[in-house]
Amino acid sequence: MNKRLFVQITLGLGLVMAVPAMAQAQDAQAKDALARVKAEGVLKVGTETAFAPFDFIDATGEHAGFNVDAFAEVGKELGVKIKWVELPWDGVLPALEAGQFNMVAGPATITKARLERYRFLSPVAEATVAILKGAKDDSIQKPEDIAGKTVGAGKATAQLAQLKTYAATLPKPVEMREYPGFNEAYADLAARRIAAVANSLPNIAYVASKQPGTFAVVKPPFGQKSYFGYIGTKKPDDQALLDAVQTALVKIKSDGRMKKLQEKWFGTAFDTPDVAPEPSF
Amino acid sequence: MSPRLFELMLKAAGYTVAISVAAIAIGLLIGLLVCAAKLSPRPWLRWPATLFVSFFRGVPLLVQLLLIYNLLPVLGLAVPSVVAALIGLSLCTAAYQAENLRGGFTSVPRGLLEAADMAGLSPWQQFRRIRAPIALRLTVPALVNEAILILKASSLISVVGVVELTRTAQNLAASTYEPLLFYSAAGGLYLAINWLVAAGGSLTERALRRGRLA
Repeated sequence: MNKRLFVQITLGLGLVMAVPAMAQAQDAQAKDALARVKAEGVLKVGTETAFAPFDFIDATGEHAGFNVDAFAEVGKELGVKIKWVELPWDGVLPALEAGQFNMVAGPATITKARLERYRFLSPVAEATVAILKGAKDDSIQKPEDIAGKTVGAGKATAQLAQLKTYAATLPKPVEMREYPGFNEAYADLAARRIAAVANSLPNIAYVASKQPGTFAVVKPPFGQKSYFGYIGTKKPDDQALLDAVQTALVKIKSDGRMKKLQEKWFGTAFDTPDVAPEPSF
Repeated sequence: MSPRLFELMLKAAGYTVAISVAAIAIGLLIGLLVCAAKLSPRPWLRWPATLFVSFFRGVPLLVQLLLIYNLLPVLGLAVPSVVAALIGLSLCTAAYQAENLRGGFTSVPRGLLEAADMAGLSPWQQFRRIRAPIALRLTVPALVNEAILILKASSLISVVGVVELTRTAQNLAASTYEPLLFYSAAGGLYLAINWLVAAGGSLTERALRRGRLA
C-alpha cells in the first residue's frame, strides 16, 4: 500500500518535531517571574507605539518616547535589558494576562475597574482628559462646546470612558467615534471628519506643540484628576518582579531623573505620588 | 520619503517576505501530513485531518492569530510574537494547501496506477514516479495562488506584535503625517513582491510541463 507508507512516514516526522518544544516549556515554569527575568537578563514589556509622547515611532523610524527613556533607567536599576513587544492597545492587556510579557508600559490611566484586575506601579504622569480641536475651529472654546459634535478617542481606553461619562452630562448628545489608536483619531481630526479628540493632557499638549497650525488644546481639562501608571498582573508569580520595578521607579523619582524625563517629553514636570492614590472613577 | 525611512520600509518588506515564505514552506509540510491523513483509509487518521481543515479554513485568520497568541502562554509555551504569528499563518495555509494537494492526488487517473501495478512498480515507485509528479503539476497554480494570499494576509500579524510592512507604514504615516506616501509605498512593495511570486510560479509551471522538475 503506497498510501499507508506515505501516511506513516509523514505522521512520524510530525511527531518527532513536536516533542522537544513541549519539554522546553516545562522547564521555564520552575522559577518565579523575577528569577526568570534576572536569569534571562531581559524584561519583556508590552506597549502600543501609537501614544506620543509616551511611546511612538519618531520621524526617523526609531521607537522613542518617555517610556523608552524611563524603562532604560528601570533596566539599569534591575541590571536587565528591555525587550519591547508592540501590540494594538486593545490587545495589550489581554496579552499581559495571557503571559506574553512581564508588564505593560502604555501607560494606562489608573482607574477603579483596572485596579480590581491589575497592579499599577508608581504613577509617571498626570492623565486628566482634555479636548483637542482643530486650530482654526472657533466653535469649541470650552469643553462643553463639544455637545452635538463628533468626538473621537482610542478603543478600550480610559479616556474614551471619561469622554462618555462627561458627554452624558451635556445638554446635547455627543457622537463618539472609536479608533484603533489615537493617531487615527488625530488624522481624522486633521481631515475634519471629527470635531475633536478626547485624550489625556500630556498627549494632546504634545500633539498640538508638534503641529500648532493644525491642532489646539481646549482648556481646562474636563475629566477627573487621574494618573498614568505602568501595569502588571496580580498573579503571585509576578509580584516579586513588580516590587523590584516599583522600587526602581521610586528611586528614579527621588533622585530627580524622572523629573528630567518629564520635562524632556512633556515640557513640564508633574508632581506624582510614589503610590497611586485611590482613583475617583 | 527620506532614504532612511525608505530603507525601513524595505526592511519591513523583507520581514513580510521572510515570514510569509517560512509560513508557506511549513504550511506545505503540514499540508502534506494533513493531505496524507485525509487520503488515508483509516478513519482515525481521516477524522482529525478533516477537523483540522474545517477549523483552520472556517475560522478567520485574524481570530486564529489572536487565539494562538493568547493561548500559547496558558499552555506554558512563552513564545515570541513572531513564532505565534508563524504558527498561525502556517496552520491556516496548511489547511488550504492540504485541500489543494488532495485535489491534485485524487486527480491522478486511476488507469495510470493500474498500469503501473501491472508493470510491477512498487508502491513507493508508483508514488515517486507517477502520483507525486502528476499531483505536483496539478497543484502548482493553486500553490502560487495560496502564496500570494498568505503574503497579503501577513499584514494581519501586527495584531500579535509583529511589525511587518503594513504596521511599519502605519507607524511612519502617523509620525510623519504623510499617510498617502507611506500607504502607496506599502501597496507598491506588496505588488512588486507578488508580481515576483507570480512570475516564479509561471516559470515553475513551464519547467514542469517540459518535465524538468519532479
